[in-house]
Amino acid sequence: MGKKEEIFERLRQAVILGETEDCAKAAQDAIDAGIDPMKVITEGLSKAMEVVGDKFESKEYFLPEMLLSAEAMYAGLELLLPLLKTEETETKEKIILGVVEGDIHDIGKNIVKAMLTAAGYEVIDLGVDVPTSEFVEKASEEEVGVIAMSTMMTPTLVSIKDIEEQLAKKGLKRKVKTLIGGGTVTEQWRSRVGSDAYGKDAMEAVDKVKMLVEEIKAAVKLMEKKRKNRKQASE
Amino acid sequence: MNPYERLMAYLEGRKEDADRLPVWCSTRTFTLDSMKIFDAYWPQAHKDPETMARLAAGVYELTGNENMSVPFDMALEAEALGAPCEYFEGKIKWISVKKFIATDIYDMDIPEDPIEFADRGRIPVCIDAIRILKKKYGGKVPVTGIVNCPLTSVGGYLINPVEFHKYMIKEPERIHRIYKTLNPYYAAVANAFKEAGADVIVFTEEGASLDNISPKHFDQFVKPHLTELIGMTKPPRVLHICGSLISRGLEVITSMIDCGAEAITIDQRTPMSEARKIADEHKAGYVIGGNIDPYNIIHGSSIDIVGNKVKKVIEDGVDMVCPGCDYWIETSTERIRAFVNTAIEYGTPPRWKKEKD
Repeated sequence: MGKKEEIFERLRQAVILGETEDCAKAAQDAIDAGIDPMKVITEGLSKAMEVVGDKFESKEYFLPEMLLSAEAMYAGLELLLPLLKTEETETKEKIILGVVEGDIHDIGKNIVKAMLTAAGYEVIDLGVDVPTSEFVEKASEEEVGVIAMSTMMTPTLVSIKDIEEQLAKKGLKRKVKTLIGGGTVTEQWRSRVGSDAYGKDAMEAVDKVKMLVEEIKAAVKLMEKKRKNRKQASE
Repeated sequence: MNPYERLMAYLEGRKEDADRLPVWCSTRTFTLDSMKIFDAYWPQAHKDPETMARLAAGVYELTGNENMSVPFDMALEAEALGAPCEYFEGKIKWISVKKFIATDIYDMDIPEDPIEFADRGRIPVCIDAIRILKKKYGGKVPVTGIVNCPLTSVGGYLINPVEFHKYMIKEPERIHRIYKTLNPYYAAVANAFKEAGADVIVFTEEGASLDNISPKHFDQFVKPHLTELIGMTKPPRVLHICGSLISRGLEVITSMIDCGAEAITIDQRTPMSEARKIADEHKAGYVIGGNIDPYNIIHGSSIDIVGNKVKKVIEDGVDMVCPGCDYWIETSTERIRAFVNTAIEYGTPPRWKKEKD
């Protein structure tokens, strides 16, 4: 094993075992050894989080294990992110993420955030108990394509409906795609309130975000093509 | 035989006395329909005993669902320990906490004497509501008092679950300390409910399913402490846990049974036939209630589908037909009535009787 690969392996083990200090140390060693930070993230942290996700799906890991892995990953990420080149951060897809109005439970949201970050997305975290209006305002901002929202509680499921209604009212549903999830959220709730996708857990949330981002890209391409055709026709 | 006698037969270990399966809700009973008809809206229904009692009984009055339960939220005990709550006046949404105030028991506002705890927050409202219900329905329809157990109550409303779950691995003694300290207080609530006239105490520990924690952590934290808590209260007692209880070769059904309640109730994420099998192998004939999906089936499917699901769960060996969790708040009276009626139809005579004949 080369030195690089050895550090990657240490990083992966630290994340998988949820060892925060070990992860920070391995990340620092990677930086000191002059390894490309982007590579450290993708080969070390992201790969490890994929393993953690698999372990969660196969019921080898549960929430406690997963939370410690996420914590370890962030300890490494904190050191590596500031070192990324501007073009590497600019090309990342931005995802808005938050817990809906009335709910302060961010356990699911934080795990989704960790998985999305590990998968290479830039997550704009609005936090918990996010007012409906704030989700809608963020949706009007140009560069955002996917809004992911969650709730763990039954009493606040209705907040998702409020957000969807507001987005529709403002004509934003064509522009942004919504992903919902959380303890009490179901596919049936998605279909009722009109969200674009539902993720049953953090791993599925990442898959659905990928899907939604592709849909948005395809829609933009189609629109551009139509615009071009119209322009040609008018000429 | 009335609903009270029927449920008691099941919970007192003499189900052969029952004429059919009970159909009741082991968690919370409230709907928008009953709010309107009985003029019992949020937040008064959380704060005023008369209004609380009217809303609790509403679903029984409208649909024949065979019990009535208080409280309507899961933050009751947490609020009494200092959690600030949002009541969402005039909205569909109901009580939730505004902020996590604790990281350990030292941050909580715990009275010296557990008995005093029953005077805290909205607990007296529930106690008075139970008295009102008992006076009106006692001996006819079972009155259910719900106690939200420490893992869910503390680790969902007082301490941020993000931290709480990490303690399970990093500081297990903290979780033990929380349970150990609070058990007498939660038992005081259960016993106050009992004294006021509650016929059944349902202990809910929603956060303890395989969706959240491993069977190892269930046995390390939940099982010993719930056994203690349940042991501190008088029977009959029911333990309810939502979520997957059987998954990928793992199960916590046997551990749930070992907690010592007279019955368990489960939701639609655990297959009834498998739960029945595991329970019978562990403790033959153990009483299980469940597990019709309250949103997708009772609220959201045709009456035919509701009937088929009820029939199936009875064939799979359920003892008490219950929605998997609270009736969904928007469910119409007509649908709950259809659910109750099909359960009566298919649940008569009960399975054990059919087997005997």
